[in-house]
Amino acid sequence: MLLALLPVALLLQASAPLQIQPRTIAVDEAFASKAHLHVGDRVTISSRAGAAADSAETAIVGAIVRRGADPSEVARGDFVARMHLDQIQRLSGYGDRVDRFAIGTRSATDIDSTLARLNHVAFGFRAYRSRDIAVETSRTFQVVSRFHRAIGVITIVASSVFLLCIMVLKVDERRRDIAALRLMGISRSSVVQSIVIEAALVAVLGSLLGVVIAWAASLFINWHYQALYRTPLHFSVITPPIVALAVGLSLVLGVGAGLLASLRLVRTAPLALFGR
Amino acid sequence: MLAVLGVAIAAAMLLDMVMLATGMRESFRELLVSRGYDIRLAPKGTLPFDTDATIPGVSAIIATLRSNPDVREISPVLGGSIHISARDRDVSASIIGINPTVQGDYELLSGRDVVSSDAIGANDYLLAKLGARLGDTLAVATGYDPQTRTYSGQRRLVLAGRVKFLYGAAEQAGAVVKRETLEAMNPDRTDRASLFMVRVRKGANPDSVRSWIETRIPNVTAISIATAIAEVDFRLSYFRQLAFILGAVSLFVGFLLVTTLVTVSVNERAGEIAVMRAIGVSRAHVVQQVVLEGVAISLAGAILGLGLGLVTARYLNAILSAFPGLPMAIDFFLFQAKAAWAAMGLLIAAGIGAGIYPAWRAASLPIAESLRREAIA
Repeated sequence: MLLALLPVALLLQASAPLQIQPRTIAVDEAFASKAHLHVGDRVTISSRAGAAADSAETAIVGAIVRRGADPSEVARGDFVARMHLDQIQRLSGYGDRVDRFAIGTRSATDIDSTLARLNHVAFGFRAYRSRDIAVETSRTFQVVSRFHRAIGVITIVASSVFLLCIMVLKVDERRRDIAALRLMGISRSSVVQSIVIEAALVAVLGSLLGVVIAWAASLFINWHYQALYRTPLHFSVITPPIVALAVGLSLVLGVGAGLLASLRLVRTAPLALFGR
Repeated sequence: MLAVLGVAIAAAMLLDMVMLATGMRESFRELLVSRGYDIRLAPKGTLPFDTDATIPGVSAIIATLRSNPDVREISPVLGGSIHISARDRDVSASIIGINPTVQGDYELLSGRDVVSSDAIGANDYLLAKLGARLGDTLAVATGYDPQTRTYSGQRRLVLAGRVKFLYGAAEQAGAVVKRETLEAMNPDRTDRASLFMVRVRKGANPDSVRSWIETRIPNVTAISIATAIAEVDFRLSYFRQLAFILGAVSLFVGFLLVTTLVTVSVNERAGEIAVMRAIGVSRAHVVQQVVLEGVAISLAGAILGLGLGLVTARYLNAILSAFPGLPMAIDFFLFQAKAAWAAMGLLIAAGIGAGIYPAWRAASLPIAESLRREAIA
């Protein structure tokens, strides 16, 4: 919040040399790129836009940093400058105050007891686990995740119907071949088996091709959105369970469609399949 | 039937994606223009209520704005947070201080507006949290210091009206008072505003007024409706692009399905088509029949898909409405007749396109050979 309070008006400075060595600040890559800042540049910092020189101070860009992946900031396009604590306290008129403390414990098992102890003696603050805060700040992405799941379900239903249609039509197209096989004495089960195996093979090959396309699409999506929102976040991740789900579902649908279509055909008299 | 269902699902998805691509922008635009304010002024480098920053010198800014003959009305708004003691608990809420004669932030649902300095209006969510009714007196405090657990300003205000905030999120407790009241409760915010809303004279160009404001008042960012929509477009570009990609995939799947169906149908009827051609039916007529078959399947799927699409759009909209801080009035999936027509038009165009290949095959069937093959079969 302290950083957000500071719509840091950084202006390239061309003023007289200072008596005291200025402090250093770090700015994020996007900020540096937008303001054409480089390490070593002198800048004037103020907590208010257009503030008079007496309420501003000079600093030196000491580092240009890459921001961590934070879902809550993804589409905001904010710039971030990091300063020394006393520097920002003075500049913002915050005094000897902070917005939060981050505390490291010696071991993970200490966290609950430390938290309980802190909250027991707390006066004017409350302690939270980092994990709980992360969950709260990820609400935007939780909504997006739910939306993706819903879109995923609709896509799976649409793909399933599409796959079923194609399989049924493909098998139906071969009814004369099947009729010929039946007239030659090939058993119903052999015909069904061969169609199901073929359908399974097509489904597996199709889904593997789909995985390759999805992998390429995923690379493109990450490249595009990481550049657009200037974040290292991964927008699309293909995991083994996702691949297994896609291939498994495709296999089940393929086998189901093959079975459905072949059973319908082998139950029809061969001559009827010939149109007689 | 299965094929028509497949086309219907593709059509539903297409309709949803057209609604998603155009809906949120339209919904946001409708929200911004609903009260007739053309320009918003926020603290430099921020969007309205994006941070706690405020703009100093309200009186001077109003005087500057009034010097432009194109500026018709100015509505300064001060934001903050309050704590209300109710029975055995403290309820927190956001609050805005406004001028009730020119406000453009809320609708009065019942009771009276906050015309007096001891009046407060609240939205339904806050009323429910407080368990309060119109006419109740509330102990309202601002400037809570968590360290010392003290307040900088406290007042007893009468609950005058029930309001609905136009830009409020679903689960956001909100209240409204006169700006002077909020300033009196926050001495450090005297003569400051979080936002100005400016209405320009009819016929004036809001963008030229916006540029004029930015040159005259350097510590504000002036946002016209067009720039606000552009910002929202950027922040939500992910959804528009997703809509475009999924819409294109749906259209392609629909196209592929209709092509397959019509091709299989033509193959099945090869003999019949050959007979028609042999008795003198023209190629153009055969092509017309096959293309019409594709269009008929697309149309049947589109009609079925319209209903299906509206149901799924409602479901998906409910999911996205849970975005933190999203105004209730914003819809991601907004039904517009033109969106439905666009989806229908695209699908029929795909149906016509899908019929071209099988129609070409049907029209170029060798008549004698097809008849012989049919006779042998």
